[in-house]
Amino acid sequence: MSTNNIVEELKKNIAHFQKETEKEEAGKVVEVGDGIARISGLSKCQAGEMLEFSGDVFGLALNLEEETVGCVLLGDYEHIKEGDTVKRTNKILSVPVGEELIGRVVNSLGMAIDGGKDIKTTKFYPIEKIAPGVMTREPVTQPVQTGIKAIDAMIPIGRGQRELIIGDRQTGKTAVAIDTIINQKGKDMICVYVAIGQKESKIARIVAKLKETGAMDYTIVVVAGASSPAALSYIAPYSGVAMAEYFMDQGKDVLCVYDDLSKQAWAYREISLLLRRPPGREAYPGDVFYLHSRLLERACRRNKESGGGSITALPIIETQASDVTAYIPTNVISITDGQIFLETDLFYRGIRPALNVGISVSRVGGAAQIKPMKKVAGKLKLAMAQFREMEAFAQFASDLDPETKKQIERGQRITELLKQPQYQPVSVENQVVSIFATNNGYFDNVAVKDISTAEKKLNDFMNKSKRSLLDKIAAGEWDEKIEKELKSACEEFNK
Amino acid sequence: MRKKSNLQFAKALYEVTKDLPKSHLPEAIKQFVLILQKNNKLKKIDYIIEEFEAYAKKQDRAKIIEIETARKLDQTALNKIKKIFGEKSEITELVNKELLGGARITVNDMIYDASLKTQLKSLRQQLIS
Repeated sequence: MSTNNIVEELKKNIAHFQKETEKEEAGKVVEVGDGIARISGLSKCQAGEMLEFSGDVFGLALNLEEETVGCVLLGDYEHIKEGDTVKRTNKILSVPVGEELIGRVVNSLGMAIDGGKDIKTTKFYPIEKIAPGVMTREPVTQPVQTGIKAIDAMIPIGRGQRELIIGDRQTGKTAVAIDTIINQKGKDMICVYVAIGQKESKIARIVAKLKETGAMDYTIVVVAGASSPAALSYIAPYSGVAMAEYFMDQGKDVLCVYDDLSKQAWAYREISLLLRRPPGREAYPGDVFYLHSRLLERACRRNKESGGGSITALPIIETQASDVTAYIPTNVISITDGQIFLETDLFYRGIRPALNVGISVSRVGGAAQIKPMKKVAGKLKLAMAQFREMEAFAQFASDLDPETKKQIERGQRITELLKQPQYQPVSVENQVVSIFATNNGYFDNVAVKDISTAEKKLNDFMNKSKRSLLDKIAAGEWDEKIEKELKSACEEFNK
Repeated sequence: MRKKSNLQFAKALYEVTKDLPKSHLPEAIKQFVLILQKNNKLKKIDYIIEEFEAYAKKQDRAKIIEIETARKLDQTALNKIKKIFGEKSEITELVNKELLGGARITVNDMIYDASLKTQLKSLRQQLIS
């Protein structure tokens, strides 16, 4: 295009330009404090509306009062002073959504913070949306394979479920979530990892790991780091789920990890106290239950008539000194469809993931398990329950009757089998084979400490010479014939 | 009891002084100041006066109009604007060279922006998008 053409084009554009009088409603700042502002005027302001301050800073209107509007500031607020003009934008806070976000690291407002080029999307979704209603939902039927043996076998998660991961600090909560994301490769899932109040170094490490394993190709990372204002930590999970909802509307399955919601509750408490809302138990405001319930209700499995698609939520809660009876943990436990308990004791005993299988449950995931897994996991659960009862007698092994002794040994082998190093998800068919072999005593001759080596050898053998059988299991087929084939394969391996 | 807001004091003062004959005014003001002192509100007096002005104008249905222009307006243009927004309004004029041309008129909480600067800005937006 020559210069003349450009000039012509510009002239044409300018000629078409309609001059209009802009009509805006404006108010005045009467008070600014740590991340909040009070504004007089703005009598027609909506709840949750974006307000424009000077210097391209935006605020979110939260408190609509008789004379003033209380809002949180989403950005630098040092330059805002009393008497500044504040304009309404007539827009409810929304975030950009779309395919362009996949593989990116963004902040709570959907702006790129990974150093890449700006994200330009055509679609925006409001961060607050009412969850899908009863008529548009259907029960959970498809599994989310986490690749973690203990979870897939005993606490299965289905697409559209909300499964809480709870435990003290340093018990491997994030590890479970990240392993799950890594294992979604090629499973037609889009993952959204929302990091709330995390150390930036930890986030950098996670993003690097996701890139290394190729998981960033289907993952969006939403970050509100420890140094970002409370307002951004507060809206981060809602932004994340809004991005997820776009993909659900395309009929896709999405996995949403909120790491972690206790920090979001802290941020919300901070904002509420600054806005002078009355504090309640543990100084949280009265609507802290609604804060989490409205977020987690947006996880759902939608039926075909409503377009299909699902959002699976994996919220994470950090407890203080294993106290699950604190306010936020009890709230979130009651909202979710089950919980995965991680314990410090187990972690230091070398049982990793440090899963307490006794009190971890999944209320709806059982229906989503594939048939072979359901068959072998039933026995596994029974054996584990018996083992827990007998465990205390393990040290008197010599005085026990053979039946009890056998149960204890089986239990020890299963415990050993369920140990799994980080970042090494196992495919579901291999899980079935290993559990089947342990249940049926094919590992009884192996010393407890050598179980993992034996398991690896078995899987290598199966992958190499029995691929067709594994494919059948992965497809969810299970009958006496397959069981027989599996038995003979195990015997063949044991020779 | 909850603290009384500035607006409540302003409202009270307005209600009291509204129909009062002029001779009683000094006494009323004196009492009002004493009440303020009792409530520890004397240091907020500036804000109360501001609220009072705003409230009184609202009650009289007068509008506060602020006209910002790039150059000083002549009388005919001013009268035109007055006619549009009502005669009772209180008008302040400001000269702001940054607007380049046109005018920006603030009526109570609404801003009507017809300045050249804003239009150039939106033209720019349109051209780059």
